[in-house]
This record gives sequence, C-alpha cells and structure tokens, in this order.
Amino acid sequence: MTVRCTSFWFIICAFAICPAGVNAQAKLDVRLPVKDKSVRFAVIGDSGTGEKDQYQIAKEMEAYRGAVNFDFVITLGDNIYGGHEPRDFAQKFEIPYKPLLAAGVKFYASLGNHDDPKLEPLYKPFNMNGERYYTFKKDFAQFFALDSNYMDAPQLSWLEQTLRSSKAPWKICFFHHPLYNEGKMHGPDLDLRNQLLPLLKAYGVNVVFSGHEHAYERLKPVNNIYYFVQGDSGKLARHDFHQSHELAASYDRARTFMVVEIAGDTLYFQTISENGETVDSGALPRAAAAVKAASSAQ
Amino acid sequence: MRYLISAPVLLAALTGFTQTSAGSNDARVVAEFEQRAKQYLDWRENTLGKAPSPANSPEKIVAARRELARKVRVARAGANQGEVFTPDIAGYFHHEIVATFNGRYGKQIRSSLRHSEPTEMQLQINQSYPEKVALQSTPPTLLLNLPELPKGLEYRILGRELVLRDTDANIVVDYIPNALPDMK
Repeated sequence: MTVRCTSFWFIICAFAICPAGVNAQAKLDVRLPVKDKSVRFAVIGDSGTGEKDQYQIAKEMEAYRGAVNFDFVITLGDNIYGGHEPRDFAQKFEIPYKPLLAAGVKFYASLGNHDDPKLEPLYKPFNMNGERYYTFKKDFAQFFALDSNYMDAPQLSWLEQTLRSSKAPWKICFFHHPLYNEGKMHGPDLDLRNQLLPLLKAYGVNVVFSGHEHAYERLKPVNNIYYFVQGDSGKLARHDFHQSHELAASYDRARTFMVVEIAGDTLYFQTISENGETVDSGALPRAAAAVKAASSAQ
Repeated sequence: MRYLISAPVLLAALTGFTQTSAGSNDARVVAEFEQRAKQYLDWRENTLGKAPSPANSPEKIVAARRELARKVRVARAGANQGEVFTPDIAGYFHHEIVATFNGRYGKQIRSSLRHSEPTEMQLQINQSYPEKVALQSTPPTLLLNLPELPKGLEYRILGRELVLRDTDANIVVDYIPNALPDMK
C-alpha cells in the first residue's frame, strides 16, 4: 500500500513539474548537429495507409520537427494506398500530418505503384505542379523527384538535361523502386537500374532514396552514391533480408522515418522508429567523384 | 561456277531488299499508330476537355476527372478493341516486345516485371482503371523500344496485356491481348 501511494504521488509530481511538451522533447534522442544554415528535411516512404501506425509515425515526426526544425518532407511513393476518394486524401495524408502542414512544412511527393499518377501530381499539397517528375532546390542541394513506375524516354531525357545543368554541390534523387535492395519481398529493380544508373553516375548524384520494400535499409555506397531504402513509414513487412555484404544497416521490426541534415560536405541522417527508438544514424561525406562532377558543372 | 558465285550475291541483295522493305513497312505502321494516338488525344482534348488543373481540393480534382471519363465513355460508346491497335499495329508491337524480351536486357526486364506486384483483371474498352488497384510499373527498356506517346496517353502492363491508357480521364482506350510473353 505504501509503495502504491509513493508511485502515485511520484507520477503526480512528475506531471506537475514537467509539462507534456517538455517531456516529449526531453525523451528525444536527437543525433543531428542542427547547424546554422544547413538543409534539414524528413523522409517517409510507403506511408499512406490511413492506419494507426502511420499516425504514430506522424506523431514522432512532429516531435522531431520541434527539435530538428526540418521544413520539408520528401515522400518515396505509395502516398495514398487503396482508393483515391477525397476522404482518402484526408485520412491518409491531411489528418495524420495536420500539425506538420499547419506549421508550414512542405511535402514533396514522388509516385509509387499504389499512387494515382494523374490525381496526386494535381494535388497541390504534394508540390508536384501537375508533373510526374520534377526538381526543386534548397540552398546547396537539388532534389530530383522521379516516377520510377514509368521511366520513359521523355523522363530520362529531362533527367539528363536537368542533372547536366545542375550546379548544386548535393544532388539527391528520390523515387519509389530501389535500384539496390536486399529485402526479400521485392528486391532491386534491375531494368530500372540499367537505364537510370548511367545518368546518376555520369552527373554526380550523391544520394538516392527509395521505398517499395517495406523495411529500412542503408546500403554500402555503390559508385560513390549512397542508397537508402525507406519503405516502412506506414506499411511494414517483418521479413528477412538477404544475407549480404552490401547492407550497411537494416531494420524491419517497426515502422520508421528519417531526418536528414546537410551541412557543407556532410550529410547527417537519423532513422527513428514509431516507438521513438533511433535505429540508425551517422554522417556521410560527399564522395570525391560527386565533388568532381559538381565542380565540372560549375 | 558463274552461278555459284552469283548465288550469294543474289541472296545478299534479296536479304537487303527484304530488310529495307520490312524497315519501311515498320516505319509506316509506327507512323499510322502515332497518327491514331494523336487523333484520339486531339479529339478528346478539343471535344471533351483537357486535364484538370492543380488544386488544393481533392474533391475538385477527382470530380473533374470523373466528369471527363464520363464524357469519353458516352462519346466513344461504340468503340471496340483493336481500333487503335489495328492488326498490323498489334503485329508490330508483338514483334518489338518479343525482340525486347529476347534482347540484351531481357533477363532484367523479366525480373523487374516479377517484382512489380503484377495484377490481373478483365479489361474492357472505356473502363476506368480501378483506383484501388496498383498500377504495375512498366520496364523502362520496354518503353524505350515502343513508339513514343503524346503526353496524356501512356502504356500500361496488366498481366500479359499491353494497355493504352488515357491518363487524364483514366480510361482504357485500347489494349493488345497477350502482348507479353507468358512469364509463368
């Protein structure tokens, strides 16, 4: 009985001393340096289920936005699973991310195989300007959102021209289907790799983010390009990865999202689970080959 | 001996002639297909309307596309399979697809298709592609070997069928049955 009372009063005191917001901030394990004038963003993939797990990830994202102050999110496709009625846009996007949207955080979407390639580009909160593929700049980083469902000649030609003319020190591509992937469910898209990789290599792309596989993977750099697979911000497949030396880190026990910071020649990343646990983090230098490509473009 | 020497020369000449003839025939078929695709799109855009504009409201975008689809269905009520993909054109596509699958990247194309969440459903001309069904990705190498389409139309793979889809209206304009090799 005494123990019960003590515990009860301890909890009451804890609530009285620490307001909820401070409590939430205090438990965060922020591993980004949060430097002045850095580019900070979050990454989600395969998120649009409308189920409670997506909402849980969204809550964690909101908590980290408070600490890291990222001002945009890139999505790796499958933004809206299932139907595309107006209520689906609400349940699978507008409601879960309402606090982020209200805070002015912009979402830049790419298309997955469960997305509607016409409706979603027209939906202004996805910032696609009616296009399946597009580019945008944030200070010294340029982002290239691609439609890997339909990599046709006009898109490849657009990508080549846009990459060639880019003077950005950091070139970041994001699209749904991974070029490298050690997950057992889907694996890499080999034909996409045939067509896309020569351009990424030739024009000094630094980082590629993809989804599709419902797990988290960080691969060892290939041709000086860093590859992340992040297809578990809503869907999760608890499955095994192939035993592979290509994997630098992997996680499939809970849903995740990433926060990323680019400062100078370093990209810092942190991958956080729906339980608030940091499952991967680190700092990646801009590879020498990409530095050379960026200098020759200038 | 004179005939023995001449035979290969004659054969080469004939082969060259056949190839040139096949090449010009292919060019004619491709030109015809491109014209039919353009005609459809011009007709739809000029008569029924263009793609909806970007909007904040999903209600507005969804309603605009459904209305466009309804108009297409009414205006093309009598359309049949094979009107764009005529037998000549379908034959050309079959040939190109087989050549692509047997080509340098055939193995990777098959691998990509197996991993692209293949779906199967009964196709009908003028039907809307179901919004709940995932759109199977189309291997890039295959796309690069097919005639380029104007913006507003796209190819889609559905099982073994090659679909010509009006993206603005989300309508199946035409399709080629069993266009792709059996993957099973």
